[in-house]
Amino acid sequence: METILEARGLTKTYRSDGVETPAVRGVDLVLRGGEFVSIMGPSGRGKSTLLYLLGLLARPTGGTVVLAGTDTRRIGDSERTRLRRRHIGFVFQQFNLLPTLSAEENVTLALRLRRRPAGDLAREILAAVGLEGKRRRKPSELSVGEQQRVAIARALVTRPPVLLADEPTGNLDSEASERVLDLVGRFHAESGQAVVLITHNEKVAERAERIVRMHDGRLMGD
Amino acid sequence: MVRLPVANILARKVRTCISVLAIGVGVALFLVLVGLTSMLREIADRTVNVDAHMMVWPASDQVVLSGGLPAEKVERHLEEIAGVEHAVPVLRWPLKMAGRVQNVYAIRPEDWSFFAGPDRIVEGRALGGGSEMVIDTRLARAGDYRLGQTVERWGRRLTIVGIATEGVAGRVFMPIETVSRTMNQDRLRASFFYVRLANAADVGPVREEIESRGLRVITFDEYYDVLAASFVDMDLVIGAVVFVAGFVCFLVILLTVYTMVVERTREIGILKAIGASRLQVFGLILAEAGLICAGGILTGFLLTWGSRALVLNFQPLWTVNIPAVRFAYAAALAAVGTGLGAVHPAMRAAGQDPVDSLRYE
Repeated sequence: METILEARGLTKTYRSDGVETPAVRGVDLVLRGGEFVSIMGPSGRGKSTLLYLLGLLARPTGGTVVLAGTDTRRIGDSERTRLRRRHIGFVFQQFNLLPTLSAEENVTLALRLRRRPAGDLAREILAAVGLEGKRRRKPSELSVGEQQRVAIARALVTRPPVLLADEPTGNLDSEASERVLDLVGRFHAESGQAVVLITHNEKVAERAERIVRMHDGRLMGD
Repeated sequence: MVRLPVANILARKVRTCISVLAIGVGVALFLVLVGLTSMLREIADRTVNVDAHMMVWPASDQVVLSGGLPAEKVERHLEEIAGVEHAVPVLRWPLKMAGRVQNVYAIRPEDWSFFAGPDRIVEGRALGGGSEMVIDTRLARAGDYRLGQTVERWGRRLTIVGIATEGVAGRVFMPIETVSRTMNQDRLRASFFYVRLANAADVGPVREEIESRGLRVITFDEYYDVLAASFVDMDLVIGAVVFVAGFVCFLVILLTVYTMVVERTREIGILKAIGASRLQVFGLILAEAGLICAGGILTGFLLTWGSRALVLNFQPLWTVNIPAVRFAYAAALAAVGTGLGAVHPAMRAAGQDPVDSLRYE
């Protein structure tokens, strides 16, 4: 299968008050289309930073990310945004839904930002995650598990080739976690999209086809 | 995409209402205060609503203080000038009616046709002699005066014999002889004269001649400017009002939008993560500010209508004239103030780092 996302010597160092803190150190990672990879490691060791770099939300200090054949090292913010829109879906640990919009509006927003007609897509995908009956509810009126399912729906409604999930079950109980992971697995199987899932939980990581361990900002191999 | 700015505004109802109200007050301030300055125009329009071409005044304040120009003598001299058809003396004197001091236009009854023809009398008749007065409809409404009513002033019982339409030169007309006697004048005097020319094109030469005789001429065209010049600070007041109104809108929006952007730092990060471009974030922030501005403008219009009604209720003789185009100016002023106030916070929001924003607590 074709490589959809690649990190080459990716490095991210944070500088504050003259102190340098390396978060990601020389990471090489290849993600092929349709692949499901878990990146595992203890908390605070650069996994989320790596995800943000892969998703073009952050700029690396060194190295590059190649997304859908485009080396992002030298492209501007507008082009990065366009690439991200076209190829990446994000799911976060804290769900990150907009609190003033309903579940359906949160999902529709992802389409409207891409100037795509919303049509029935939002309702269909909310039905697919089992929330059609609660589509008009605001996030505050949903359980944490339901909020995460809305977040997944929002990430997937635009059919991105790559889904990046940052500890999607971190704030959920075991039942909700299972449900969310089943959803991710199902969409992965049905749509053939590539998934990168960050977790510190072994059981969650085992859902992936490939587990890569990360420690102190470095990947330790599969 | 409109849904998000609307939802955000509705999520902070109190703050939105305060911001809308503040802009509304700015808009109303501009409209009502500038509208009040139209009182001057109203006075000027009435004063020149006479069948004449110019006014002739004493050149010296000394003459004014002494009671005015000798009416018959000056009238004769003016009518001797080539081109002058008629000179009409007017003695102005203060008289309190409807709770405010009015300028009585004391004239000769036979000169009534210069000020108002028979079609301007809506009740009663034109001025006769003695202790009579004719008032205009606005004063009648303001003071609840009726035809035939007597008013005691200056130790006299003055009878309202006629009510004229609003817009005549004075709100109160009385016989010049009556007022002159009340003032204990030795002879009939005039505060000024209205002069009608045989040919309006002769204004220049006639003016020259009159001024060479030591009198001051104000043509009807220049009367408003002369009046406005006597209120030297009028332009300053208007300018200050416009500035304050615009600045209020700018400040309110700047503070509101800045607070919104800081409060929603994380949300901005989410928007960027799910695909919003800088321009879209910028546009969303401006859209919210624009909605608040629109609400403020509408509120301002309502406040203006209410304030105007209140002013006229308590001061019925004041004029608060607000032509339709001025509403457009007020809206434009609010929009400009809003735009300037929102641009900086919107740019700040658009430029926020998405990762820092997502991590913001």
